Parts: sequence; C-alpha cells; structure tokens
Amino acid sequence: MVFMQVVFILFILSANGGMNMKKRTKSWLIPTVIASLLFTGCAPASQENPEPSQELTKGEIVVAAVTEPDSLDIHKTSSIGEPTEHLYATLFERDLNGEIVPGLVKDYKVADGGKEITFELKENAVFHSGKPINAEAVKKSFERFLEKSPFKTNAGSIEKIEVLGETTFKITWSEPYAPFFSNATSAYLAPLDVSTLDAQGEGFDKNASAAGRLQLTEVKRGDSVVYKPFEKADWGAKGTPGFSKVTFRFIPDDETRILEFKKGSVNVLLDVPFQYIEELEKEPGVELERVSDYVMTYLGWNNKLPIFQDVKVRQAIALAVDREPIIQNTMRGAAKPVFGPLPEVVNGHSPAIEEKARQKYTQDKEKAKQLLAEAGWSEKNGEGIVMKDGKPFSVEMWVQNEPAMQRVAQILQHQLREIGIDVRLTVKESAAIIEQTPKGSHQMILWSYGWFDADILYFLLFGKGKSTRLHYEVDELDALLQKGRVEMDPEKRFKIYEEAQEFLVEQSPWVPLFVRESITATRGLKNFKKHPISNRIIWQDVEVTE
Amino acid sequence: MPSYLLKRLLTMGVTLIGVSLLVFMMLHLIPGDPVRYILGDFATEESIADLESRLGLDKPLPMQYFRYMAGVFQGDLGTSYVTGYTVMEEILNRFPITAQLAVYSIIFGSIFGIIIGIIAAMNQNTIFDQLAMVISLIGISAPSFWIALFLILFFAYHLGLFPISGYKGFYSLILPSITLGLGTAGNIARMTRSSMLEVIKQDYIRTAKAKGANLYRLIIQHSLQNAMIPVTTLIGLQFGALMAGAVVTETVFALPGMGSLIVSAIATRDIPTVQGLIMFMAFLFIIVNLVVDLIYTKLDPRIRYD
Repeated sequence: MVFMQVVFILFILSANGGMNMKKRTKSWLIPTVIASLLFTGCAPASQENPEPSQELTKGEIVVAAVTEPDSLDIHKTSSIGEPTEHLYATLFERDLNGEIVPGLVKDYKVADGGKEITFELKENAVFHSGKPINAEAVKKSFERFLEKSPFKTNAGSIEKIEVLGETTFKITWSEPYAPFFSNATSAYLAPLDVSTLDAQGEGFDKNASAAGRLQLTEVKRGDSVVYKPFEKADWGAKGTPGFSKVTFRFIPDDETRILEFKKGSVNVLLDVPFQYIEELEKEPGVELERVSDYVMTYLGWNNKLPIFQDVKVRQAIALAVDREPIIQNTMRGAAKPVFGPLPEVVNGHSPAIEEKARQKYTQDKEKAKQLLAEAGWSEKNGEGIVMKDGKPFSVEMWVQNEPAMQRVAQILQHQLREIGIDVRLTVKESAAIIEQTPKGSHQMILWSYGWFDADILYFLLFGKGKSTRLHYEVDELDALLQKGRVEMDPEKRFKIYEEAQEFLVEQSPWVPLFVRESITATRGLKNFKKHPISNRIIWQDVEVTE
Repeated sequence: MPSYLLKRLLTMGVTLIGVSLLVFMMLHLIPGDPVRYILGDFATEESIADLESRLGLDKPLPMQYFRYMAGVFQGDLGTSYVTGYTVMEEILNRFPITAQLAVYSIIFGSIFGIIIGIIAAMNQNTIFDQLAMVISLIGISAPSFWIALFLILFFAYHLGLFPISGYKGFYSLILPSITLGLGTAGNIARMTRSSMLEVIKQDYIRTAKAKGANLYRLIIQHSLQNAMIPVTTLIGLQFGALMAGAVVTETVFALPGMGSLIVSAIATRDIPTVQGLIMFMAFLFIIVNLVVDLIYTKLDPRIRYD
C-alpha cells in the first residue's frame, strides 16, 4: 500500500500525471532543473569533462595531499610543501647526509669577510620554458623575490646583485649572512622564469616556468595541481623519468583520503594519520616510507612573566616531562623525543648537546619537586598545587585546534600536575596564537618550529626583538646567535651554536619535546624515497610499476 | 507587483550593506592578524608594516570599509590576501559546483521530504507514520559528516557506484547532494505532514470526500497545493542551511566549491575572500527567498503583493 503511494506520488511529482498539478509542479521543479543544468554548463572549463573512471592512467602518479598551496608562485606563497616545491630547482642542495652541495650554482667564492659572494651557475641549465638559466635571469628572479616575498629576510640584507658574465653574478650584503647557503637549499630562494610573466610580473600559475623536476601542466583551484616530468632535468643513471604525470589532489578529510588510497585511485598518500599506520602496514602491496620531520614541537612559555624568572622553576618543568607516553599515546610511537634545542636534521645540531640535555632532563619528578621547593614553591594548597606567597602555581596553556596536539597538552597537564603545577588548557586557532604571542598575551604554549638552519634560534626563538613566542632575550645568548649569523667558517660557526645550545640547555627557557615521523604510504611504485633531511619526495628514481 | 519588487530590491540593498558591515566588523574583531599569518615565523616589524601598507590594512577601519564598499559597487570584491586571485575569480570558479550541489540537494530534499510527509499524513498514527517521522528525524539530527562517510563507505568504496571524492561531473555530486539534502528532506517531511493534516480537516476536503472523490486525487489535487505554502517557505529558508552544510560536505567530499573555500579563508584570516563569499551567499539567500515569495502567488491566487 505504502509502496503504491510512493510510486503514485513520484508519478505525480514528475509531472507525468494528466492533472492540474502538472502545471503547478512545473513552477518549481522545472526552474530548478534548468538552473542546475545552467550551473553545470558554468562549471570551470578545466572541470567540464568528467573523468569516467577512477583508474589511473598508465605511468600516472596521484598524490593525496591534505592542503592546497595558497600559491604556486614561490615569491608569493606563505608556505611550501610537496605540491609546490618540486616545481623549483634550488641554487644549492642537501645531500642525503645533510651536507650542502651544488645545485644550480656549481661554484662560489666568498670575499670581503662574507659581504660579497660571486656565484658561478651551471652551464646549459634551462627553465621549463626552454630559456637559459643565466646570471641575468637569476638576478631578475632575485629582484622579484626581494620585492614580493614574505620571506625576503631569508636572503639577508642584500645591497646589490651584479651580473658579471653569462653565468656569473655577485651578491653584496651590508653585513655577512652565513645562513644564506642553508636557506638557498629551500625553494623560497630558487629562481623562476620572470620572462614568462605578464607586464605586471604576475600570472605565474597560468604560465609557470621554473627549473624543477616537475613541470606544471594544469591548476584546478581547490581540487588539484597536475605536473609532467621535466625532460631536461637530471634523471639519474637511466636518464628518463619513470612516470608520465603527477597529480596532487587536495583531500582535507583524513578518512576520505585513506579510502581513496585503499580504493586505488591514489597511489601516494602523504602524511598518513597515526591511527591508520597499523592498518596500512597490513595492507598488501602497500609500502610505508618513514622519515623524521624537521619540525620540532616544544612546550614554551612567556619568559618575561615573573613566575618563570627563576631558572629552578624552568628546570623543574623540564624535569616533570616524560616524552615517551606522549609519543606512544598520541602518535602511536611515530615520533622521536628531542631534548636539545635543535633536532637532528637541522644544520647546527650537536649530538653531544643532545646527549647532555637528555641526561639532564630525563624525567625526575622528585628532583623537579625539590627544585620547585628551592625556588620557594614549597607550600601546597588543598588541591595539591604548590604555592608561593599564598598564590598557587597556576598557568594557562594555549594549544592549537589540532586533535593530536590537544592530547599532547592533556598529558603535559597531567605530568605538570604531578609536581604540583596547575595547567589550564585553552584551545585557540593558529591565527590567533600567531597574533597574540608576540604581544606576550600568553603564559604557556604548545607550539612548534621548523627550519633547516641553526639561525632559527636567532630569528624566531631567542634573538633580541625576535623572540615572539618565548620572550627570552638575554644579552649573552643574543651575542652568540648574532655571531653565528656572520661567521662564514662552518666549523667555527658550529662551535658558536654549540655554545649557544649549551647555554639554552642550562637555562631551560622551554622544553623541546619531539619531532614527528612523516609517514608516506605508496602502492605500485618502485624506488620511492623521501629525502631524510628535507622530507621531500626524491622523484629521480621513482618508477610506476602497476 | 512592480512596486513590490522594487521595495524588495531596495530592502535587499540595505540588507547587503548591513551584512557587509557586520562581517567586516566581525572579521576585524576576532583574534588573528592576516599579516602575521602570511608572514608567519619570518615576520619582522618592517615586513609587517610593509605588508600592512601593501594590503591597505594600515588605514583606519572606516576608511578600509568605505574603500571596500566603493569597490563592491563597481563589481570589485577585492583580491585574496593569501592566493593573489581576485575574489570574483575565486567565486566564479567555485560557485557552479556549490550551486549544483545546492540545487540537487533541494530537489532531492523536496521530493523525498514531500513524499515522506504525504505518506505520514495519509497514514496518520500508523506504523508508517511513525516510521516516516523516525526517518525524517534521522535526516535532521544525523551529523552530515557521519552521513557523508557512511555513504562514501557503502556506495563509493564497497559498491564502487560513485567516486569517493573530488569533482568529476554529475555523478560525483550525487552522494554529496544526498548528504546535504537529507536534513532538508527531514524538515520538509515534518512540515508537509503537519500542513497536510491541517488541510485534510478542512470542510471542503470533507465535502470532496462526501462527493466520492478519489483518495489520491483528493490528496494531491485538493490538499497538497494548499499545504505547499508553508513547505515552500521552508524550502527557501533551507537554502541558508544548505550553504552552511556545504562547508562540511564539500570538505569531506573534497569538492572545490565555495564551502571548502570559506573554511580555508577563515583559517588564514583572508578577509576579502571571507567577506566576498559571505556577501555573495547572502545575496543568493535573499534572491532565493524573493523567488519563494513570488511562487506563493502561483500557489495561492488569493495572495497579492500590490
């Protein structure tokens, strides 16, 4: 009976019954259908032709990424990642041991105590457009970088760039800038072909030309970026790329991304969520590539607040923290504990300092309580919170709205509670934390940093006027970090940073916690590897096998 | 009618100005500075001042607002701080997908909701009535991300009938439309049921019944038309809910529509994009509801606007 009713009503609503209702149904049904057909006709040109099947074409690699880059134009973007970085070839590169080796630059000469560097470019290198990568092209790209990029400080205080020959150019700085070589291994400083841009120097996405292994073929905003291998790039011993096309699809939802990978419509899954590691390990034909990330998570606080002035208090907090349960419970073990200021992959990391910090700050609750007592926090209130001058040790910790970070914060809250420190958690958007921490509106934060050079200790963490998250600005440390910026001798520079790190370990203005493992799942690919330092896909040897 | 339309269009202008002012104020009041977000860890006082000046954020707020509105009146919704694309470009690129999604959801929600509502009314206080109301309640109360994942898992992953995510033409919008349309269907079903029950009790229905009119003819021809007025209002209002729902649905299905764009624009404090999108959505909402009001005159000839 009810089934008959459904059929009958559908019959009427579809305007096929011969009654008056036919006319009235048209009043809303027909316009909506027409509207939808019109909108279908208005669909972006790049999306007009639907792909009939989800099967991958021969030689195609589809990479599922979480976020879409804001811009592919390296001079305009505020962040780089897999979908952007391979479009560019860098001036210098890092080898698999982290050593800086030539990239587009084959040689360089330092003069005037580091204020002048003359660079010699490789001959015969070309952009995707086919135009040569000569000194003039690099100069123009640098000038655009200095005009537009939010990251122009990464090039130091450049005074002028001079073209000395077809492949030779000289950069003059107002003061030596030692991190330049490290920074020039990142795509931010990589040259792009300015000649393909429009008269205003815009339109890179529409006519992109740089020199990376991947050449842009299509941009579907909000959906994907499509590349083909750049034939004139170095493809190793075999001389040709092992794939014909790379599509980066942007799928923000974890579950959807996993299902696409399991279904086979994606063959590289970036940033495997921790909860799926075990499941994918058991999946036949799936390989997991695990590389330590260079982004370090730390527990920080506003060192200008009176409560954190005593070094014993800061050391007590560091001694209260046990990194193992954090790593096991929130990241299923896919992270590495860090005790010293610089993680392993950062230029300037010292294994000796790391070991010293590990010995000094391996969790010791009794020692932490003793240090707090020595700092005057000996009394306890009814809730077991330590007090000084009648005031309880109670602080607010800001944490960003990422579930894993919130779980880390909860464990830290519990661990600090065990030595008598009360922590109140407040979840905030990243944009709000970024705005408010430089003003010193915070007490404690759970935050992270990521860069390849020890200069990060100066320009973000502890430099005078730069310590926007930790507000720890001490003359002695600042002098060391400033010295590190201008010292052009790598060995001497390393010693300076060792000294600075030793100071930080002793003073404990923060608690380094861990670096995550970046896990990539692949299927049907051979020789898929990620660079152990930069954490980027090494396309040179990748081959599609299925 | 023309004077009514003119009045409505004037009201629309005032409403849009109100929306623009409200959104502008809210975006500047919430914590999170777009310049610091763009510059991130590399921000220096000089680079912050430089970028603020380039984006016009160093000007007093009233001046920023008037400059923005001057652009809007000339059809310029500004340029995204983050992507460098004009907001109009972004909207035109993504609107067709969201529009299709909204239209298909409305079609699905209306057909499904009206059928369930009629069945429930025709079988009042029976098991079918209760079942229909339970289904509509599930539609209203089940979170859209859960429905989306369920549909993906069953129809796309296991049965392989549809793509899991992304925009690949009409077929890729079927599951998102069902996800988005279920809540609408639930609301319409409940409204249709109650309106139908009210109409069924009217004297003219009793008269028609006494004259021996066929039950289905009675329901469809005599009752449904009169019951449709509140339902049509609801459909218009549901359009706003669909726009809000598109935010989650487009994210789960990785659809490059306006919903997913607004999520990322809010997270990055991309003020021109958020402002442009909300203004555009408000404009659509007003237009849809104007159309709904005009449809009343067709459904009930007694309604006159002049």
